[in-house]
Amino acid sequence: MGIVIEVEELVKAYRKGTVVTEVLRGVSFDVRQGEFVAIMGRSGSGKSTLLNVLGFLDRPDGGRYRLLGEALTSSDDDALSDARSRKIGFVFQQFHLLDRASALDNVMLPLVYAEVDAGGAERARSLLEAVGLGNRADHLPGEMSGGEQQRVAIARALINNPVLVLADEPTGNLDEGSASDILDIFRRLSGEGRTIVLVTHDPLVAARADRVLYLDGGRLVAGRPGTVGIASAATGDATPPTAHPTA
Amino acid sequence: MSRSQRMARHVVQSLVANKGRTLLMMLGVAAGVAVLSAVIVLGQGTRERVMGLVSKHGLDMLMVRAGGEVQVFAPKSDRGLAVLFEPDARAIENEIPNVQLVSAVQNQRGITVVHEDRSVTTRGFGVEPDWMEIRRWGVAEGEFITANDMASSARVALLGARVARELFPEGGAVGRVVRVNNDPYTVTAVFIEMGTDAGGDDWDNRIVVPLTTATRRLFGRPSLEQIVIRVSDARRLPETAERVRTLLRVRHQIAPGKPDDFFVREPADVQGTALETSNTLSTSLIGVSLVALLAGGLVIMNLMLSGVTQRAGEIGLRRAVGARAADITREFLLEAVFIALLGGIVGVILGVMIAMLLSATGMGTSRVTWHPFVVAALACAAIGVGFGLHPARRAARLDPATALRGSRA
Repeated sequence: MGIVIEVEELVKAYRKGTVVTEVLRGVSFDVRQGEFVAIMGRSGSGKSTLLNVLGFLDRPDGGRYRLLGEALTSSDDDALSDARSRKIGFVFQQFHLLDRASALDNVMLPLVYAEVDAGGAERARSLLEAVGLGNRADHLPGEMSGGEQQRVAIARALINNPVLVLADEPTGNLDEGSASDILDIFRRLSGEGRTIVLVTHDPLVAARADRVLYLDGGRLVAGRPGTVGIASAATGDATPPTAHPTA
Repeated sequence: MSRSQRMARHVVQSLVANKGRTLLMMLGVAAGVAVLSAVIVLGQGTRERVMGLVSKHGLDMLMVRAGGEVQVFAPKSDRGLAVLFEPDARAIENEIPNVQLVSAVQNQRGITVVHEDRSVTTRGFGVEPDWMEIRRWGVAEGEFITANDMASSARVALLGARVARELFPEGGAVGRVVRVNNDPYTVTAVFIEMGTDAGGDDWDNRIVVPLTTATRRLFGRPSLEQIVIRVSDARRLPETAERVRTLLRVRHQIAPGKPDDFFVREPADVQGTALETSNTLSTSLIGVSLVALLAGGLVIMNLMLSGVTQRAGEIGLRRAVGARAADITREFLLEAVFIALLGGIVGVILGVMIAMLLSATGMGTSRVTWHPFVVAALACAAIGVGFGLHPARRAARLDPATALRGSRA
């Protein structure tokens, strides 16, 4: 299987006035096609920023990111929008469904901005079938459970047949059963050759992935940092991030 | 569905989803458009009323008389000053703006008209085909002087109502032959009853012949008594009068400081003032409605700006699934234009109703034409684009990642 994601020495910092916060401090990794990768780390470890960069929602300040061998991060805003439209599917913790639109319309939303719409409604229906909501196509998000809403969101992420699905805490707002259903879907997609990158702070979720990347203080670390409770977490906070070895 | 249809559908969904805000924005525009269309409807009504005044009092007519100002008050004998000629009339017609119709006029008292054993002595007029329109007279039966009559100096006579009555007590004057100063003339028309005007002239005691017939046959002289002029815009009448005066002074080679050998009579000033007033009134009302429209636009802008903040999550999502910044701008603009148009429709209906109500209570005259609808549609589109642009741009400039963190969709 080919390489989908190539990340080398990725750097990202935010400036607020004179204060510069370095969020990513040189992150490097590859993801192969069909791989299901989980990114773990505490709040502020840079995992959401990394996901945004992978999804062209944000630009890195340094380093390289190639998607299917193509470097786009320095392209203009419209090129990034088009890349999101054609290559990326997003799944969010808060689902981000449009309240007044039916499940089917929500799944079809990305088609508003896509070049082609041929057979869009049929594809949307079959995607809803695939996530087990074939009979809920006309329901509004408010009439569905959290797990069902997230499945609609997954169908929406797949409508443009993306090479990469990015999920930011997709199970964060779900009970255990629903979360498990969602992860089953991701596993199945991965089995079908779809590349999945998922951000989570839940080790049980990460355990379902093929591989786990641990982010700490803006760098990838070898193991899961701060595993042994408060003391170690406190140490982690006190220790400058640079003290951690890079992956 | 095409891409733009899909977008329009989403825009409508979004407007329906935010009913309260949509309604508020609509009301802002509706109020402005209501005032604007009420003003237009009332303005048209007033205009029509004023036009009525204009025609009733001849406020759009200038009369040039031969002889200087002093002569005007001379006794009612014909003055016989040979200073005004047909080329003067043509020059006025061709060289002065705001002049719509011109007729050269000759008249002479003591014209004898005979039919069988009946005879009247009356005042004869030689006029051109536009004269009747300028003087706002009309024929009760028959046909007014035509270009053909003029070209052939036709021996045709048109009788005032009283003349017709006296010569033809049984009626049926049109088509009969009368003798005018001993020449046979065919009666081609009888005028409608007009009565005596403010100057004491009895309009029903006249006969009218083509100007060419008068100059060549009946009066046998080229000099005119009057030139009558209808202007297009009654409000510019004083200016037009001044131009006529200047033109004639040049044509008559009157040296500076010498008195005119003609007199330009304008309608009474009082009525001119009424015209001015109605003009100023509608100008200030249009000002008021523009302010109202502006306020409506500001309401749209403010509510849309707060909407951008409230809907940050939705905007972020749209960007995440592939919307370009320009797509977001377009969607927000489309929303603003939709709202402005809806508000415009409501506003026009309201405005027309207000105007009707005011005129029903006697506080104005209204006249519904297509104007308010076109003006409202244009105003609304302009408001939608004008005031929607700033919020739309702001929405498009939102950083997608930040917007997504902002709130739920």
